[in-house]
Amino acid sequence: MSTTDTSSSVARGTLRLVSRETQVKEWLLASVFFACAFVAVLAVALIFAFVGWKAWPIFSEVGISEFLFGRVWASSEELYGILPLIQGSFVVTLGALVIGTPLAVGTAVFLSEIASPGVRAVVRPAVELLAGIPSVVYGFFGVVVVRPIVGDLTGGIGFGPLTAWVILAIMIVPTIAALSEDALRSIPMGIREASYAMGATTWQTIRKVVVPAAKIGIIDAIILGMGRAIGETMAVLMLVGNAPQFFAGIGQPISTLTSQIVMDMGYSTGTHRTALFGMAAILFLISMGLVLTVRLVSRLRD
Amino acid sequence: MEKRIANNIAVGVLWVAAGITVAVLGAIILYVLVNGVRVLSPEFIVTRPHGVNAEGGIGPTIVSTMYVTGLAMLICAPVAVLAAVYLAEYAHQGRVVNVIRFAADSLASVPSIVMGLFGFALFVEAMGIGLSMLSAALALALLMLPIVMRATEEAIRAVPRYIRWGSYGMGATKWQTVSRVVLPAAAPRIITGIVLATGRAVGETAVVFYTMGQAINIPITPLDSGRPMTVHLYLLAVDGINLPAAYGTALLLMIMILGFNLSARWILKRYRKV
Amino acid sequence: MTGSTTLLPIAEQAAEGFQRANPGTHVLVSGLGSSAGIEAVITGTSDIGTSSRDLKPGEADHGLVDIPVAYDGIAVIVNPANPVDGLSLEQLRAIYAGEITNWREVGGEDRAINLVNRDEASGTREAFKKIVMGEDAHFDRSAVVLPGTGQVRDVVARSRGAIGYISVGFVGPRFTSTRVKALKIDGVVPSEDTVASREYPIARTLHFFTRGHVGALAGRYVAYVLSDEVQDGVVVDAGFVPVSARGRP
Repeated sequence: MSTTDTSSSVARGTLRLVSRETQVKEWLLASVFFACAFVAVLAVALIFAFVGWKAWPIFSEVGISEFLFGRVWASSEELYGILPLIQGSFVVTLGALVIGTPLAVGTAVFLSEIASPGVRAVVRPAVELLAGIPSVVYGFFGVVVVRPIVGDLTGGIGFGPLTAWVILAIMIVPTIAALSEDALRSIPMGIREASYAMGATTWQTIRKVVVPAAKIGIIDAIILGMGRAIGETMAVLMLVGNAPQFFAGIGQPISTLTSQIVMDMGYSTGTHRTALFGMAAILFLISMGLVLTVRLVSRLRD
Repeated sequence: MEKRIANNIAVGVLWVAAGITVAVLGAIILYVLVNGVRVLSPEFIVTRPHGVNAEGGIGPTIVSTMYVTGLAMLICAPVAVLAAVYLAEYAHQGRVVNVIRFAADSLASVPSIVMGLFGFALFVEAMGIGLSMLSAALALALLMLPIVMRATEEAIRAVPRYIRWGSYGMGATKWQTVSRVVLPAAAPRIITGIVLATGRAVGETAVVFYTMGQAINIPITPLDSGRPMTVHLYLLAVDGINLPAAYGTALLLMIMILGFNLSARWILKRYRKV
Repeated sequence: MTGSTTLLPIAEQAAEGFQRANPGTHVLVSGLGSSAGIEAVITGTSDIGTSSRDLKPGEADHGLVDIPVAYDGIAVIVNPANPVDGLSLEQLRAIYAGEITNWREVGGEDRAINLVNRDEASGTREAFKKIVMGEDAHFDRSAVVLPGTGQVRDVVARSRGAIGYISVGFVGPRFTSTRVKALKIDGVVPSEDTVASREYPIARTLHFFTRGHVGALAGRYVAYVLSDEVQDGVVVDAGFVPVSARGRP
């Protein structure tokens, strides 16, 4: 993080020797660059302000507790309780993490500890391509392939958490696998060599040495995977069945924050629309919270 | 010997995990390919959807997708690259840089539907741009911003120090050094980052769902609305009547995204050889 | 023009024909749901709003002109393997309110009923709610909510316990090989005749809405949609019943 210090001091030294005009030009350019970098900050502030502003009436008129802890979401009856949707989002996310995490971390460990360069050259691009498939394609695949199978298994129609778990688990594998692999690869070779020198097997080295050393990086990866899952929209929308009820079984339809926003946005007006912005604000806060958690967890390592 | 057996089992399990990941990718690609290749034809790519259930081609949706992602790239790339130049070359570590990095990380994690609603509230409604290519491109650009920023920053940091010293030693100013030495050296990796981010934007649905309209239309000006391929696929899939067209659209989308991925790889590879 | 997904086939195909007949004109059609269509014509975003329901009280204040363009019947569909052939409107209401949850209760086999509902933006749902559910009954919230007619049909065709509702025109296997069975409601089979004669209870009128003073081009388009060419062509093709059918013997 201290990379710029030497070069910029060199630059400043140079600046003193050049004309005033050049100095002003350099200063202007630096300001433009700073402005560009500040766009990110501005964007986050604007998102917060605009979504919050549009959502404000739902908090002030309906009330935060009515909104957050209301048990019934029925816009036609003017009931805007999002507890079932929050529950739905977490049911879908946690299930996907339970299935996806072992797969992703397993793949990451395989890539960094076991795979030969040749095998790696196949698996690594596959993981990256998996990240590139659009979520609407995942959703489509889930509807036409996974949904009928789940329907037969559960004796229902097949829309519900189980179908969403399977597809969402696949979708978060690239996120978790890529970041976990980075964490594993940043462990110095010497540690592994020491372990092998003491007669440890590959698995013992992985389990007792490498994974514990990369633990924090892997936890970060899982948290970011969770963020991806909770914010996932199109695939979830196409698979959960969109029934705003509390969890009633793995084959029974539920709804989530993201899917309900897309379902309702097209025709909502008035309080209903502010409720959707309220849900977006909550999603935004959750994702910011996860980023903050990653920062705090990373700080533990340093 | 017991530990040898445990080792073999564990290594086997890890092989299986990686195998599943690859197999799932293969299954999705194969399924879309087998079902989609039957409808894929020059007519399908060029002609308009028509009739009760969007028979015919998907031409306008391809144009809309390329239009909006191209526009988003043009908006995003300069800002993101210059922002990364600031972070990598100009900024002094401290609170301001911390805030910028946190903002970029947050921006990267904003759920796409939240970005879509924000784009609708700010660009479509408050700024009065309406359901249009421009509104959707602005929202997409924000989504791509942190990706391109990160790629560019890494690319710049990968440029060896001594190259800069050479430049400064010859009396070049900071901007001369950055623009004539550092950025050209980092260019392949920056372009790779931009291409990958654009590929991501091609597949984006939730952001454009309520920012560019859904009418089938060939956009001419940035203020025109249109329907991108992803939204078309979604509507075909949930309508559930004209599934062949849905498979065809899905296949074309995958081909486009694969194209972006492969060209990104190709740029990097070519650069490494030189 | 914006509005009902039910009317989308008519609006789109008519727009195509209209543009062929009037080179240089451009009709933009999007299907976002009836409420969105009416909203769009009130705010002026669209010249014509299409709707498969009547105006709500709040919407009627804006001086919109109502132009009926076709009739549509909503068929209640089940899996062909389901032995139940008909329901009363009363039973249907109880099923969709979640009071009847097993096919045994309406004379079928001992099997849980899997409810399939449409999304709230759908005009079909709105009409179904108005005609079948009435003022007091609410939809069971555990029903699967699907945003498209074809998907409802597909799910019902594949799941033995499922029940759903779609426009009469989509019951037949015109687009896919799968089959569904349309139930008699109060003893009446849903068909073009029973819908046009309004014998079949779950039927509705499809509307175009315009603001009082409509542009010349939009006016010509409306006239085109009401012409025999469209009424006996596109409207019938899309599975609806022409407005003129009402007066016919």
